[in-house]
Amino acid sequence: MNDDAASNQGRSSAFIVSAKKRKIQKITRKSGEATLLLIASFVAIVVLFIFWFVARDAVPFFRLRGFQEFFTSSEWYPADDPPQFGALAIIYGSLMITFGSALIAVPMGIIASICLSDILPFSVRQYVKPVIEMLAAIPSVAFGFFALVVFAPLLQNFGGPILMWTWWVIAAPFLLLAVIVASELLTASIARDSLKKPVRTVLAIALGTVALLFLYFIGHHLQGLVILSGTNALNVSIILSFMALPTIVSVSEDALQAVGRELREGSYALGATRAETIIKTVLPAASSGILAAVILGIMRALGETMVVWMASGNSSHIPDPFFNYLDSVRTLTATIAGDMGEADQVTGSARFHVLFAMGLLLLVVSFVSNLVSERIVVRQRKILSGQ
Amino acid sequence: MNLGTRKLLDRSFTALGFGSIVIMGLALLVVLVPIVSNGLGAIVFRGTIEHRKLLYSEFRRGDANELEKEEALSNEYRQNVFTMLSAFENEMAQMDDAERDRYQASYDQVKGSLRALFGPVPGDTQPELTRFCYGQTRWDKAEEKLHNLLYEQKWDYSNPDVIAKPYDVSRATTFAGTSLVRLFPYVEQNLDKMLLPEWTFYWGFITDSSLDAHFFGGIWPEVQGTIFLAIGAMLFAFPLGVIAAVYFTEYARDGFLTSMLRSANSTLAGVPSIVFGLFGLAFFINTLHVSESKSVLAGSLTLAIMILPTIIRAAEEAILAVPKTYKEASLSLGSTKWNTIMTVILPAALPGILTGGVISLGRAAGETAPIIFTAAVSVGTAIGLGDVLSSPTPALSWNIYNLASEHEAAAEIRHVQYGMVLSLVMIVLLLNLSAIVLRARISKKLKG
Repeated sequence: MNDDAASNQGRSSAFIVSAKKRKIQKITRKSGEATLLLIASFVAIVVLFIFWFVARDAVPFFRLRGFQEFFTSSEWYPADDPPQFGALAIIYGSLMITFGSALIAVPMGIIASICLSDILPFSVRQYVKPVIEMLAAIPSVAFGFFALVVFAPLLQNFGGPILMWTWWVIAAPFLLLAVIVASELLTASIARDSLKKPVRTVLAIALGTVALLFLYFIGHHLQGLVILSGTNALNVSIILSFMALPTIVSVSEDALQAVGRELREGSYALGATRAETIIKTVLPAASSGILAAVILGIMRALGETMVVWMASGNSSHIPDPFFNYLDSVRTLTATIAGDMGEADQVTGSARFHVLFAMGLLLLVVSFVSNLVSERIVVRQRKILSGQ
Repeated sequence: MNLGTRKLLDRSFTALGFGSIVIMGLALLVVLVPIVSNGLGAIVFRGTIEHRKLLYSEFRRGDANELEKEEALSNEYRQNVFTMLSAFENEMAQMDDAERDRYQASYDQVKGSLRALFGPVPGDTQPELTRFCYGQTRWDKAEEKLHNLLYEQKWDYSNPDVIAKPYDVSRATTFAGTSLVRLFPYVEQNLDKMLLPEWTFYWGFITDSSLDAHFFGGIWPEVQGTIFLAIGAMLFAFPLGVIAAVYFTEYARDGFLTSMLRSANSTLAGVPSIVFGLFGLAFFINTLHVSESKSVLAGSLTLAIMILPTIIRAAEEAILAVPKTYKEASLSLGSTKWNTIMTVILPAALPGILTGGVISLGRAAGETAPIIFTAAVSVGTAIGLGDVLSSPTPALSWNIYNLASEHEAAAEIRHVQYGMVLSLVMIVLLLNLSAIVLRARISKKLKG
């Protein structure tokens, strides 16, 4: 009995902590937490450092040459005497391939993400997701190699027929659908059923003929195109769009998933089909998240280096006419990567610093678009959870 | 709209969705199939006797006796070719100047093609560059060179509006009436006996160092450089990333500071890769002077910064996926918070954290832009582990670019480029695949 009490006392005394010990514990805990915070803020420090060090080497350029030439002239002759540093054509090249790849990747990415989140059954989705992840994982230099060695010769030798077939495959089903829907909508006001059907058929045939002629003429024009060089803006835009797709798909799928079941079920209950539900209910609700996905995807294309360096042709001029995607272009990223080798020897010259100026431009654009997309995502989350 | 049309539109919408998914799958196939099929060609191909000669004299591999026998066999046929050459040279000596000039240029091309096929011809001095010491090591390449021997390529400039088109002229007609005419059918018929092609599995492509700017040999320096850079980056980024993730998930309170830090994380994730390269150059090399110029260390540090956000996010997700009950049980047993993290939460989250790590490893191995200014060189030998602090290294990603875009004979060594691309893609995809498998097992385990 006594022994038990003694041991009980001993045990309980183990839990009684003296004030001094508690203080030490508190200090260790606080300092540990501070260390963790320090390590966690490492990322923020790195971001500040990136801005500081890129800007530090970019400022001398603007001090030497001013802003006007860089942003308004398209004469890029850094090796000439006197050198010219007009980056307008290069900035335009970056914008052009970014726009081109967005034109392909954005609709495809949004539709694919809808398919993933709303249409495909779970069992199939399990096999599709790794495909998208693999597409995202392939190194950019491998895409660049493919663009340069496989795709560019193909485009150069069979560019016309390839463009024509792509046009037919994409446009024909859409036009067919448009003809059917249009003939139905145009005859909707006819009250008598006996009259409705023949008129609709005649209308469909007439519209179909027009559509077919349209298809044929555009296709014929595309087939006749001569592509002088396979390393051009079109090549790069297509390849970049497939590199941007995984980002767009995964981020906008998250946005679509965030739209709750209730909204979808409400729409179905009102008699909407799945397509109507998605287009009229789900997409508007997820629109801001999808916008964020699009911004992130576009940034991937704008910041990509290897593909554009290898397969864009690297000629610094604004294509003529300005939307001529069959012309070769040069981008900011490719210029930084390509010109550093020659500029490196003369650290301190405008030729070296202009590359940092381009880097700073890319950095600022990516920073701003990241902030915007983040704000958008946060806002969407608030709205969706608030309802 | 009537119901039929609405249904049709609905179906078309579904088809559109399927279509875009199928296009993505097809795109993956279209990119991977040529890379895999041509890339395997760098390892499995019909190797000629020149390949075996090269392996023996440069890497001391192969059976000397066997090789000698083979050489005797092929020389029997080659000797006839060389006899024909000297006979024609005698014939040329007796021609008048105008006639000789007519043949000379084409004859030089013939000799050049023969050198490309069989290596130095008798009477040549021993060439200095390794690429000229051997003939064609690959049968597919040898057939191309045979075509160059049999036909002369000329350009058709008749239509000034289009780009000139090439066309072939048979050399047999060029040399009609001379003794050299016999050479062309002879070489065409007996090329396999002169080169003795057999199916070769050249595993040395991965483990051999390159000879003479990748004309021959393997890609080990590049593979090793890629491994060093990727692992180096992980050594820096992984511990930092995991600790930061622990802070974000377990300690951070919602507030201005935390949201700033998170914002910084996503900003870092969105920085274009080439800007990391600029930063690495300006900070690690020009400011901190971690090394004299480019080095593996500077490259690894740059890559580490690039993959840090990915690791943090993956680790955060993995930690958040650990059931709350684990943590509560541990805390209720009297364990401290730190102890709980170290002994309960991190072990449970480890597979998920590793998944993120493995994917980041693949990303670090595949990136090119950050290492252009900080670590990569075009030519170089494999560096030792002791040199990583100071010397640059060739790396797969950079050398793919370099060989494909800047090499003096890029079209001649396509097989090496494809082999490199395949190696890089395989490294990255295998890492990703293992991450996918790992994740599938975790989700099964967590479901119970």
